Amino acid sequence: MCVVAADSPSSAQDPLFVVRGLTKTYGDGEAAVHALVGVDLDLFPGELVVLLGASGSGKSTLLNNLGGLDTPTSGKLNYRGWSLDEADQEGLTRYRRDVVGFVFQFYNLIPSLTARENVALITEVAADPMSPDDALALVGLTDRRNHFPAQLSGGEQQRVAIARAIAKRPEVLLCDEPTGALDIHTGITVLDAVQRINRELGTLTVIITHNAAIAAMSDRVLTLSDGRLVGQKKNPQRLAVQELQW
Amino acid sequence: MTHLDRKLLRDLRTIKSQALAVALVMACGLAMMVMTRSLIRSLETARSEYYARNRFAEVFAGLKRAPLSLVDEIARIDGVAAVQPGIALQVTLDIPGLPEPARAEINSVPDRAVQQLNRLHLRSGHLLGLGSRHEILVGEAFAEAHGLQPGATISAILNGRKLALRVAGVALSPEYIFESPPGAALPDNRTFGIFWMRYEEIAEAYSLKGGFNKVSLTLAPGASEKHVIAELDRMLVPYGGTGAFDRKDHPSHIRVSDEIRILQVISFGFPLVFLSVAAFMTNAVMSRQIHLQREQIAILKAFGFTDWQVGLHFFKFTLAIVSVGALLGAVGGMLLGYRLVDMYHLFFRFPRLDFLVSWGTLFGAAGASSATAFVGVAGVVKRAMRLPPAQAMRPEAPADYRPALLERTRFGARMTLSVRMALRNVQRKPWQSFLTTVALSLAAGILVIPNAFRDGIRYVLDFQWDLIQHETVSVRLVEPGPARALEDFRHLPGVVTAEPMRTVPVEFRAGSRSRRLGLVGLPANGDLTRILDAQEHPKPIPAHGVVLSRKLAEVLGVERGGLLHVRVLAEKRTEAWLPVTDLAEDFAGIIAYMDLEAMNRMLHSGDEINGARLTIAGGSWSDFLEAMKNSPRTSGVVIKEAMRDSFRKTTAESIGLLQTIYSLFATVVAFGIAYNSARISLSERQRELATLRVLGFSQAEVGGVLVMEMVILAAASLPVGLAFGSLLAGGILHSVNTETVRLPLVLTGANYAYSVLVMTLATTLSLWFACRKLNRLDLVGALKAPE
Ligand SMILES: Nc1ncnc2c1ncn2[C@@H]1O[C@H](COP(=O)(O)OP(=O)(O)O)[C@@H](O)[C@H]1O
Ligand SMILES: [Mg+2]
Repeated sequence: MCVVAADSPSSAQDPLFVVRGLTKTYGDGEAAVHALVGVDLDLFPGELVVLLGASGSGKSTLLNNLGGLDTPTSGKLNYRGWSLDEADQEGLTRYRRDVVGFVFQFYNLIPSLTARENVALITEVAADPMSPDDALALVGLTDRRNHFPAQLSGGEQQRVAIARAIAKRPEVLLCDEPTGALDIHTGITVLDAVQRINRELGTLTVIITHNAAIAAMSDRVLTLSDGRLVGQKKNPQRLAVQELQW
Repeated sequence: MTHLDRKLLRDLRTIKSQALAVALVMACGLAMMVMTRSLIRSLETARSEYYARNRFAEVFAGLKRAPLSLVDEIARIDGVAAVQPGIALQVTLDIPGLPEPARAEINSVPDRAVQQLNRLHLRSGHLLGLGSRHEILVGEAFAEAHGLQPGATISAILNGRKLALRVAGVALSPEYIFESPPGAALPDNRTFGIFWMRYEEIAEAYSLKGGFNKVSLTLAPGASEKHVIAELDRMLVPYGGTGAFDRKDHPSHIRVSDEIRILQVISFGFPLVFLSVAAFMTNAVMSRQIHLQREQIAILKAFGFTDWQVGLHFFKFTLAIVSVGALLGAVGGMLLGYRLVDMYHLFFRFPRLDFLVSWGTLFGAAGASSATAFVGVAGVVKRAMRLPPAQAMRPEAPADYRPALLERTRFGARMTLSVRMALRNVQRKPWQSFLTTVALSLAAGILVIPNAFRDGIRYVLDFQWDLIQHETVSVRLVEPGPARALEDFRHLPGVVTAEPMRTVPVEFRAGSRSRRLGLVGLPANGDLTRILDAQEHPKPIPAHGVVLSRKLAEVLGVERGGLLHVRVLAEKRTEAWLPVTDLAEDFAGIIAYMDLEAMNRMLHSGDEINGARLTIAGGSWSDFLEAMKNSPRTSGVVIKEAMRDSFRKTTAESIGLLQTIYSLFATVVAFGIAYNSARISLSERQRELATLRVLGFSQAEVGGVLVMEMVILAAASLPVGLAFGSLLAGGILHSVNTETVRLPLVLTGANYAYSVLVMTLATTLSLWFACRKLNRLDLVGALKAPE
């Protein structure tokens, strides 16, 4: 198992997340599903991490735990010394509101709100947000901001979802198969937006994907299998999205 | 406005027709409640203000004749505040062109002294001039029926002398808010009027100078009414007193109270059903919304919205629907009430009857129904609040279908695909199917109630005046006479059959309860007035004891076989204990019968009668009436058809008008429920129906699945709904139980057919709308993202 190199730009700082023995079991007895089994992991500020693994290997579960959408069955999950494994619902809500931005496979925009309003919905409740227009500019959607989700293509919808996720300047951006429902070219525009945000805002970004080619854009690639972390690979040099070999 | 609120507005717009349907149902319930309660408040306020301003008396008594000097003695009774003596007499009128004989009750107005009690309200013209002669004031109802204006003249026979009386003015009195002839529950404003004349003039005409034959009192605060009545009765005995009574036995007062009671009955149960239906529908709509918005809720939570913010959002959703309903209902109820209050001008004569909104009901009912809706929605919202965000992001597990039970029967093989799918849907979501069936049943049920009201009234109109009363007219003699007076009636033109009758005013007493009315003596083998049991079979009049209307027995708290104390209030005052030998089923007014011979024995009189019931041959009707007009010994003629007509125009009309409004509302509600059910069912099936379309099924085939499912549920709901409606109608009609009218529960095939027809129409139309929506479905959009 590779260890993060000492000269890594990120490892110079304290980790944002410290994960130890993280275990998540759904159900019990015969029907129990062990989605995560003892995962140990550190995640650093400004990193872009890609999470690979077969379907059902536990990627979403890990991401949901990191994002405070779900709580571990056992193990330690620390964000800046904040024990998320012990947090109550109220704490998790505050954590999600202040720290995390999410992007999902199916965009999950509010259909009755325009692109701009979908972003504004979140900036309204955030502490130090950027303006919805700035967020949409970051993903290159300034001219579509008054369209409703139904009037946008899949890629555009996903970029609105990204704008919505980053508009509150989260420290962590979690993307669960953000290109899963998109074709390659559209996927590129989306990933490009994610990478740009990671670079310009220094947001710790975790991307789940099935597509190993995407791994090349990351600082670090983690591989999950049957709920275990089976591989960690550090990219000495990460590629721009346009340079990826599909 | 926050963006979450903006989302709310847009979401509302997408389900506007559904939200409107719910709001309308609530509005109907609320409007009914506001309307009826406001009418009650209007009537009660108008009456109590009228009573107070015009000093309506609290105790009343009639007598033969007493000197005015007795008034001071009466005033000295402990607890009496004011005394108003007067003269009231029945006179025969001669109205050219009016075929029936007409009568008036002439009341005296003091010449110089101030009228202490029961003061008049002058509507037009002027009061009677000092020393004026042949001048009268006329009650408004009679004046209107005959188009009498101040200055007109009318002929009356005063003590055998025909006089032309000049109408000085048109007036109202708190004693005659309802102008009905003495002893009759129903008015006939063409043949009976209330007049007022100077005391001196009327006393002179009837040689009653210095005397009075009627007295009214008010009581001092805290006085015992019972005591005053007893004292007054005792004091009036030597003067032929017919018994003192209080307001609750006052005919005009009773009628207004009865009307208020009917309003009270329908102001509650029926609207309550509507309001619960509305709460139920709100719950259905909100459940569906929250289900549809699972992912949106999850997203909001993923981004740090609290459970409370999410909960509040959906509460606001409900609030919006409920507010529209409350607003529409309040405004609708006020407008309807405002229009309807005019109806009471038809038969109640108040100086003014203003429409007063019952604000308490308005806010109370709006608040209560909103609260009910919120309680109904609370569970659903709580589920939304509890929804774990990660869970909600996972697409729902594919529904687990299996062949429907019915498919395994021998019909299974012949079922079309759409029938199979519909059956499987029903079976897969039994709870939802059950709720839809319940909603549709409620819709079918509430349609039954208003028509049951209508049929009940129709039945009463037939029962009371065809089955019970077989005579054409009943006539009264001025004085009781020997039985052979009947022969004189037999010889009048056109008389086919004649049966004797004797009516005496009595007071019935059973324990602490008492009631005054005319006890009617009927011949043993008579056929013109029938006593019927619940199956409409005639029963003979028992040889001894009395037969009471079931309602009268209830008022007195006696049962068949019980003993009643009877005090005769006519000149020959006797008392007796009589058994209640039987109860009569009747629906309008209250009555007490006994055998004529037994009555005469009780009265210690010979074979006497004071009236007769007659049937008249159709062709001789006008001759008969002409002869009656010239018969000095008869004091009154009650024409059966006129009474039926009067009932139709007063009680039946007021109930009928309310019933029409209710029927309209019930229809609106039925459509609302059907539409809402179709929309929810469409929304639930949207994805799978879209998938079917993508797989190459035609619009008709896909629509067929939806239609089939609704048809199955609607068909299942009808029998339940009709049964439920019948029960509810029974309950509500049963509580229309006043002395003026009781409504029997009559459930006709036509009533049920109407309910089925409206439900069929409502379901068909709703399905048509739903299918149109289905055809416009954006197939790709519906499949793009998981629900
Ligand atoms: N809420 C849940 N209830 C039961 N099992 C679950 C739940 N969420 C995930 N699982 C199971 O946990 C395992 C890991 O799922 P997931 O993390 O979604 O995998 P993936 O790597 O495809 O994202 C799978 O077997 C999945 O079926
Ligand atoms: Mg996954």
